Amino acid sequence: MADQANFENDALQYTRQLFSAAMRMTRNPSDAEDLVQETFLKAYRAYHTFEEGTNLKAWLYRILTNTYINNYRKESRRPSEVDLGAVEDLYLYRRIGSEESAEAARTTEDRVLDGLVESDIKQAVEELPENFRIPVLLADLEGFSYKEIAEILDIPIGTVMSRLHRGRKALQRRLWEFAENRGLLPEDAEKP
Amino acid sequence: MSGRNCDEALTNLYQYLDREMDSANSERIRAHLVDCSGCFDIFEFEVRLKVVVRERLSEEVPPAFIERLRAALARESVGDR
Repeated sequence: MADQANFENDALQYTRQLFSAAMRMTRNPSDAEDLVQETFLKAYRAYHTFEEGTNLKAWLYRILTNTYINNYRKESRRPSEVDLGAVEDLYLYRRIGSEESAEAARTTEDRVLDGLVESDIKQAVEELPENFRIPVLLADLEGFSYKEIAEILDIPIGTVMSRLHRGRKALQRRLWEFAENRGLLPEDAEKP
Repeated sequence: MSGRNCDEALTNLYQYLDREMDSANSERIRAHLVDCSGCFDIFEFEVRLKVVVRERLSEEVPPAFIERLRAALARESVGDR
């Protein structure tokens, strides 16, 4: 059992990470602040139930995610399979790689990866349906393992893997559109 | 760039990059990437993309919010006594 007196010391180190995730969940700073504050208050109140030595970060994310789903979610719960459509694997790489030479492809890769700005990536993530967005955030922003994500979201590991896979593909498709709009691609690049 | 080894590598790309494979399997893929420049390029691109996504999603926490958070926790702990 964890000691409430240590809560600030133990938990507040995760503020930036929780806030970053909360921003992508709620899509606005004021809701994100409220969500993170509510998460920490709930965690503080329940801290005596937290088993010391286990995964505090995952525990905090579980509270964050549940609080978001119960209190902040504005989109209605949708079946997970609609919305995304079929996207081929390696979407970005394949399109960039359609250049004729390896050097040209490499130049385009660099230009795309350097040229996609924060707001593009944030918007692309925020546009993912929530069933995909949250696993992608937990894996790619936070680096949680599949098992940890399964526990945080209370879904089977196989579901985590398929949502991550599909979510990342959809993200790549959207990033391709941003790259195109920003003129990061050569004139004659194949249109998706 | 085709064949069974490439198929195996590409099928397991995310599991490999996410460090979700056991050591024997990930060693086999690592060995394939040494031999196969086509797969190596793909893996390298996906790693770079992952890093870019992570870096550009991170937010600065507004200092005023930290203050608010600490104050809220302090109020909560006073209420406990």
